[in-house]
Amino acid sequence: MPRYLVSVEGEEYDIELEYRADGYRARVNGAPVRVTSHQLGETRSVLLVDDRCFEVDVHSNGVDDTRTVFMLGIEIQARVEGYHLAKLRSTAGMTAEQSVQKKFAAPMPGLILELKVAPGDKVAKGDPLVVIEAMKMENVIKAPGDAVIKAVKVSKGDSVEKGDQMLEFE
Amino acid sequence: MPAQIKKILIANRGEIAVRIIRACRDLGIDAVAVYSDCDKTAYHVRLADEAYHIGPSPSTQSYLVHDRIIDAAKRSHADAIHPGYGFLAENTQFAQRCADEGLIFIGPTAKTISLLGDKLQARAAALEAGLPVVPGVTLDGDDLNAALAKAGRVGFPVLIKAAAGGGGKGMRVVEKPDQFEESLQRASSEAKSAFGDGRVYIEKYLVRPRHIEMQILCDRYGNGIHLNERECSIQRRHQKLIEESPSPVMTPELRKEMGRAAVDIVKRTGYVGAGTVEFMVSQDLSYYFLEVNTRLQVEHPVTEMITGVDLVKEQIAIAEGEPLHYRQEDIKLDGHAIECRIYAEDPEQGFTPSTGTLRHYRLPAGPGVRVDSGVVIYSEIPVLYDPLLAKLIVWGKDRHEAISRTKRALQEYRVSGIKTTIGFHLAVMHNARFIAGDLSTAFLAEEFPDNKYAILDDATRRCAAIAAALEKFTHERKILPARRDAGVAVKSGWSSYHRRANLRRFGGSR
Repeated sequence: MPRYLVSVEGEEYDIELEYRADGYRARVNGAPVRVTSHQLGETRSVLLVDDRCFEVDVHSNGVDDTRTVFMLGIEIQARVEGYHLAKLRSTAGMTAEQSVQKKFAAPMPGLILELKVAPGDKVAKGDPLVVIEAMKMENVIKAPGDAVIKAVKVSKGDSVEKGDQMLEFE
Repeated sequence: MPAQIKKILIANRGEIAVRIIRACRDLGIDAVAVYSDCDKTAYHVRLADEAYHIGPSPSTQSYLVHDRIIDAAKRSHADAIHPGYGFLAENTQFAQRCADEGLIFIGPTAKTISLLGDKLQARAAALEAGLPVVPGVTLDGDDLNAALAKAGRVGFPVLIKAAAGGGGKGMRVVEKPDQFEESLQRASSEAKSAFGDGRVYIEKYLVRPRHIEMQILCDRYGNGIHLNERECSIQRRHQKLIEESPSPVMTPELRKEMGRAAVDIVKRTGYVGAGTVEFMVSQDLSYYFLEVNTRLQVEHPVTEMITGVDLVKEQIAIAEGEPLHYRQEDIKLDGHAIECRIYAEDPEQGFTPSTGTLRHYRLPAGPGVRVDSGVVIYSEIPVLYDPLLAKLIVWGKDRHEAISRTKRALQEYRVSGIKTTIGFHLAVMHNARFIAGDLSTAFLAEEFPDNKYAILDDATRRCAAIAAALEKFTHERKILPARRDAGVAVKSGWSSYHRRANLRRFGGSR
């Protein structure tokens, strides 16, 4: 039976799913749960969880294990991994976020107004790195921690999308 | 000499353009939309009677270009221009240009806008009218040291504000002298790029003040009334997020006094049209004049819900030269209204803009619920403009009912594809201090210092986990058969379509 480890806002769920003609037979953290899913479209469905009714819209970014679940007017981030893989990873003492490189990405789309750092600069947590104009506001992007700037990948006047790499740390 | 307006050009976009088009329709007036490159299929264009292209996507090359707007007005034979809010709404040159071209500008005269739009002159006018103002000083080309000395005399914390400003742009709170230089530069440069005027002034920063404003209407015959207050204390970066009327702390006596003061100051300037007089109110309920906004406010529907007055229709009637349709004693205050601004922003990342396509968008409805939306499903949310998607305005017989209904309405929203402030609003509606009406402009910093607005209950969180697992499960079953076929080079599109369709129908059981 396919088994997943899902983490939502710091809570972990061990979920086993088995497809049946009348719905899914599931176990959540070992306890049996009846799940029925009625598809409304590509990503949306009505989900009945032990007769509690939810309308959900689940999006995958197609790259990693994160899923965005839109429901009840809000957006919820979930990370879904194969259960055994997740267990292996945690035995190896790795967190899911550890593979993140020293790349510093734009936290929002906008226009680079100012670069406050150059390669070789030492910055402390909270130091201004870049000023981005977005939606008519000037936003000072600050260093997330102490670091040394290895490379600057953008120039003044560039347009960046959210997630575009701006800097590289040593 | 009342002049019948037959066609109005709306020099704006988004929800406010939609709002004005609706008022035009209600009055049997033709509505003309204008649009930039990226707005060619925007909702306001789809609703209008006529639409004119006015240039490339950046607003400095389209919505802010006087010539382009005037040209579209001429080509469409519009009688009047409604500027909405933002863009050209408080632009003196544009208001004057309209007058010179024989077009009715729906708003006060250029002279009034110029006087009240300049925060320094407005402050002087308020002092003349005997209104209390927040202690402050102007910076007349002072160098840094002189400016710092002046700030020191006002006393930290201080607020640096753009003289030509509005909407929180070019505004910075400075807690300590050592942050003064950077904030001054930032505020001045923001003011320069937003308003073309880098002048700033310094004001004493009141601790935990409330932001309360009075809506006013004046005709050209010297009649002026107020339409009660709106409390707009829930703000981020000095931009309003939640507004309500009446204010939980207002008394009938104070309302009368502040209403009279508001009408008094605008009448002194020969004001004609709708406007808003903003006040800071301290915790002991002393009030200080802040500024006059010479335009329709974003939050005007809150007033419409409790008074039954359609402010846009009144603006148009006043522009036509009609006397006010209401006397002060006709203005009622029925029940309680709350507005939540639904922004394309990520509240948990400090309200950073979120852009993309609205892949799903379903709005709340039912008793007491009004939604003024500028977007529809599949709308693209560009980075170039104000990120306001829509406003949810809810009416209840009292504040308690209004809060319950707001919660209900927020949960009815189905929005996918971009991040919004809906979850944030839900968190505020559940907050004990908000429910108690204990508000101040420091509310967010005090109640949500770490920007965490999640209010997930266990059942919802568990359902989200199941939904996410189910998505991966279904996805894996969809792609596995395709991998088996990977060696086949040429495939009929129809056969793979049918395979996919069958997989969907039968759940892809193998």
